[in-house]
Amino acid sequence: MNLHFPTAFQELTPQLLKALGVVASLTLAGFALALVIAMLIALGRLSQSRFLDRILIVFLEIVRGTPLLVQLLYVYYVLPELIKLIMRIWIPDYQLTISAFTAGVIGLGINYGCYMSEVIRSSIAAIDKGQTEAALALGYTNRQAMWNIVIPQSFRISLPTLANYFIMMIKDTSLVAFITLQEIILTTQSYASQTFLTIESYTLAALAYLILSIPLGQGVRILERRLNRHV
Amino acid sequence: MSNPMIEVEKLHKSFGQNEILKGITLTIEKGEKVVIIGPSGSGKSTLLRCLNYLELPTAGTVKINGEYFVEPGKKYNENHVAKLRTNIGMVFQRFNLFPTMTALENVMAALTKVRQKSTTEARQIATRYLEKVGLADRMNHYPSQLSGGQQQRIAIARSLAMEPEAMLFDEATSALDPELVGEVLNVIRELAEEGMTMVLVTHEMSFAQEVGDRVIFMDDGLIIESGSPDQLFRNPQHDRTKTFLQRLKH
Repeated sequence: MNLHFPTAFQELTPQLLKALGVVASLTLAGFALALVIAMLIALGRLSQSRFLDRILIVFLEIVRGTPLLVQLLYVYYVLPELIKLIMRIWIPDYQLTISAFTAGVIGLGINYGCYMSEVIRSSIAAIDKGQTEAALALGYTNRQAMWNIVIPQSFRISLPTLANYFIMMIKDTSLVAFITLQEIILTTQSYASQTFLTIESYTLAALAYLILSIPLGQGVRILERRLNRHV
Repeated sequence: MSNPMIEVEKLHKSFGQNEILKGITLTIEKGEKVVIIGPSGSGKSTLLRCLNYLELPTAGTVKINGEYFVEPGKKYNENHVAKLRTNIGMVFQRFNLFPTMTALENVMAALTKVRQKSTTEARQIATRYLEKVGLADRMNHYPSQLSGGQQQRIAIARSLAMEPEAMLFDEATSALDPELVGEVLNVIRELAEEGMTMVLVTHEMSFAQEVGDRVIFMDDGLIIESGSPDQLFRNPQHDRTKTFLQRLKH
């Protein structure tokens, strides 16, 4: 059996580069959404309201108890139908479609937001209460103390973990292939099935992920070292 | 002529079922230096923390310059409480400096955020107070690069920079190595000489005797006895005070 890496490289690489762009923008958008969701959940759970805390715990259990793939399928296929069903009560021929990209961003954002909320919550809880007290004694309001003193410090604790979640999300974008987004896996799959260059195609696909994840992993390590300088 | 800075009336504080303060009434005059002593668990730190509403009283009132933190019958207003707190500085046992900021940034933080000063002005004020505590040469150091005594002096500078009318010291030297206690006491002594109103919770009895105008002995959530240092240390009236002072000698 002959391997045809030069051919596969020549033909597949331009397509993979395009797919890499899709993966990068999907991850950036998904991660931005995840951060917002994580922050909201973390602050909600740290608030005084036990009712809110309970609701959020139920939500977290549902999201963490189901596979990301199921969630992506649900957001892409089920969610628009559900919204249509509800909206048609008021607007008779209400239409809604969401793109695979949008569904991917929402699915990844919610899933990662839930996991990351625990990272953010525990990093906020890890900050000594004395920090808040010192700020309050100086005349900060609770909100000011939280946003100016506590969260910046907690961010230094959570940043390396969050960065690792970012790298994990890059890899998890491969699941968005199941909802028809032309990312690395779907691109590779269609090329491999046309040319039968299976070994070459999937090896190149794996390399495409490594190009993103290895430098980022190194970056996280450097970041971690820098952040621990004064503390 | 009475000129009260801090007025505490019928103050109660409970944590769950546990009543820590059982009805404290206390007035602190402008310029007065009050030292609170007592066995651990007597409620002295809790009382101090109620004076700037870091602990919310279960019942009773606290007034600063005649202004209630929370007026009887009215609701807790966070902005009002925060504003009143700027009149009272607080120094903690564990310093509580912000570890990600330099000494200078620690002192500047509240000046820009709370007092809304420009960065230039905040820097000038901060530098002045760092000079006052003798640490201008350490202004670009992070707390982790400073000794406990230096950290506590920075914390004092941070409070003073807000130009409060009174200062609360919550066992300000208890977490320090013995050889570093002196430098912090010197700064506090200097403040006392300048006429700052102060309330100190301390275990440094000789220091209490030296700077205090009035010493308060607390036990079991109540003020047992209060008087001039001479009176209280040389001639305590109450048995519990005697026992406490007796125990200190050993």
